[in-house]
Amino acid sequence: MTGGMTGGGSAATPADLGAFRAHVRDWCRAHVPDGWRRAQTGVPDEEFVSFQRAWFQELRRAGFAVPHWPAEWGGGMPVAQQAVLYQELAAHDAPRLVLAFVAIHHAASTLLAAGTDAQRHAHLPAILDGEVWAQGFSEPDAGSDLAALRTSARREGGTYVVNGQKCWASGAAHADWCLLLARTDPAAPKRHGISYFLLDMRTPGIDVRPTRQATGESHFCEIFLDDVAVPAANLVGPENEGWRVAQRTLGAERGMTMLELAERLAHGGFRRLVDACARPGPGGARPLDDPLVLDRLAALETELTGLRALCAELVADDRPGPADASVAKLVYSELLQRLTDFAAEVAGPAAHTELRRPLSSGWESGAWVLDFVGSWEWTIPGGTSEIQRTIIGERGLGLPREPAGA
Amino acid sequence: MNIEPSGEAAEYGRQASRAFAAAGGDRLAPLAEAEPERRGALVEPVLRELGAWELRPRDDPDDLEAAAALCRSAGYRALAYPLAERLARPAGLGTDGLLVVDGPAPRAPVAGLDLRWTAVTLDGRRGEAVVRSGERSLDSAVVAELDVRPLDAAGAGDVALGLVLPCWTLLGMLDRALDLTRSHVLARHQFGEPLARRQGVRFQLADAEVERGGAEALAAYALWSVQSGRAEALDDALALRLAALEAAEAVFRTAHLLHGAMGFCDESPLSWVSRCSRPVRWLPLGLSATRDHLARRLGRHGLTGLFSEAAT
Repeated sequence: MTGGMTGGGSAATPADLGAFRAHVRDWCRAHVPDGWRRAQTGVPDEEFVSFQRAWFQELRRAGFAVPHWPAEWGGGMPVAQQAVLYQELAAHDAPRLVLAFVAIHHAASTLLAAGTDAQRHAHLPAILDGEVWAQGFSEPDAGSDLAALRTSARREGGTYVVNGQKCWASGAAHADWCLLLARTDPAAPKRHGISYFLLDMRTPGIDVRPTRQATGESHFCEIFLDDVAVPAANLVGPENEGWRVAQRTLGAERGMTMLELAERLAHGGFRRLVDACARPGPGGARPLDDPLVLDRLAALETELTGLRALCAELVADDRPGPADASVAKLVYSELLQRLTDFAAEVAGPAAHTELRRPLSSGWESGAWVLDFVGSWEWTIPGGTSEIQRTIIGERGLGLPREPAGA
Repeated sequence: MNIEPSGEAAEYGRQASRAFAAAGGDRLAPLAEAEPERRGALVEPVLRELGAWELRPRDDPDDLEAAAALCRSAGYRALAYPLAERLARPAGLGTDGLLVVDGPAPRAPVAGLDLRWTAVTLDGRRGEAVVRSGERSLDSAVVAELDVRPLDAAGAGDVALGLVLPCWTLLGMLDRALDLTRSHVLARHQFGEPLARRQGVRFQLADAEVERGGAEALAAYALWSVQSGRAEALDDALALRLAALEAAEAVFRTAHLLHGAMGFCDESPLSWVSRCSRPVRWLPLGLSATRDHLARRLGRHGLTGLFSEAAT
């Protein structure tokens, strides 16, 4: 066991943090590419991928790519510094790590929590070198009810033969590897017959098809698996224990990623919104001159402050409560929707003819109408808001379990 | 007084819905978005056959109800065509339709159509609106910027209808979003049973239906207010718009959440209905702007409503 994903928990003094903040600011001024938003707007996928790869390496050289990893793997940054890092990156409008997201969060937390030494050595350094990951969990008939998944993995000697279909695998079209859940014991009760695999996306028998979404983007993908051979060495954790391993991965999606997203929302998106409100509209008046706008902004700022505190606490806590990650995800996703909804209103009719979102930006890119539409996605993946509320009720509040159905 | 639209109007709406389905149904919106220049050719023949251009909603109460029913069906099928705007055309100007506009940079969902438009502001200033050529919007391909050449200030009586009919289009979209969601939660099995068995799901759908029902009642009332030529018809139109926009937020939020990721994908009709609802919901006035206009107009006197005479 190499420890958690939170990096070091040691408290940094305010003076240390101040110096670190100055360091990050200097770095951002020198390294955030000028005009990247324009250069990433309306470009083909390949340019997005090459830009993301280059930016990841830029961050890596500075020690900013995986600050939340344990020190021996290249991270080890105290949580307070991580918060400062994410604040400054957002405030300097740095691009986000979109392509590497699953690799540095979900794949890494899975490997650190349940992977073998060989798996960690094979993949954690490779992720730093640019290995891209996707997550193959959901299936057409297994969304909220993930344990109902039917993709099968049949053991044949030293390999598993995988057949089935995965969906909503964000970024799978560019992925080198995939976190895969498949059923290894069809006879066992739902959650007990599932195993967790690392799937090399170059294996024969894999077909990836992008799905176009309402924002005009196509980051969701379907993955079709036809007699795909996965070496037994790529099993993570014991056979048929994949459900427990997956809880780790989902926990990462709900928990560890939240610190960055919350700081990004507060220091990137919200500041952008406040700036927009300070500019005269087409009629000459500034939205800020309207007390109702001020009132909404103050309410959003209050909620953001709460969210940031919640996320920082979640990440710093060695033993977070069983529903803490769900609370953070629920608050973030619904706040993101409220904030982008309000921003789309402030932006007014003009926002409807400025509808291209720069790739590599955050969920609050400033193309507010698209951001608002995109924000609706957030209450669905990694456990819908209903699933989060069920977890909060059952595991957080200790209420009786919901009837599980047949 | 009876504010319920007539049975004939409802039947006309059903016929229209069948005709729109036969003309392409859910394929119409993607086609319109892909090639806005072709969308007129896709639906105008059907509308002509339905007698849409013979309707005189400003003159004939029955035609007004028929126009509203037609707009509702167009919304239900996500027609992606400015039907409400065309049906609201002003009298005596010889133009093809009326666009209610607000603010100094007016926009309307009229790109790619070779039609002549009259624009009117909420305070009744009219002008000739021309789609600005040049830069094309890259996402919502049907929305265009307008240049407006001022004409007169005689349009105060035009505005209410110009606001009410698009709300009927939106109402049809809400009908559809709820129908789609109802079907989805009945068909979609998770945890060994339909989503619809879950009380949390049922409550959300019920709340959304209450919102839609409220908007429907106000739509009937505002239509009746226009029909009766009431002085406060514009107040009623703005009140309807406010209620319809609030209902749309609630209905689409629920519809998307319950559809899951599928609801964002092009193969899902919900994605298209939702996308087509955006211009209706944000143009010419979004939620806050609608609320602001309504509050300024009403001041302290409040809405007149159905039973004011009895109350005084």
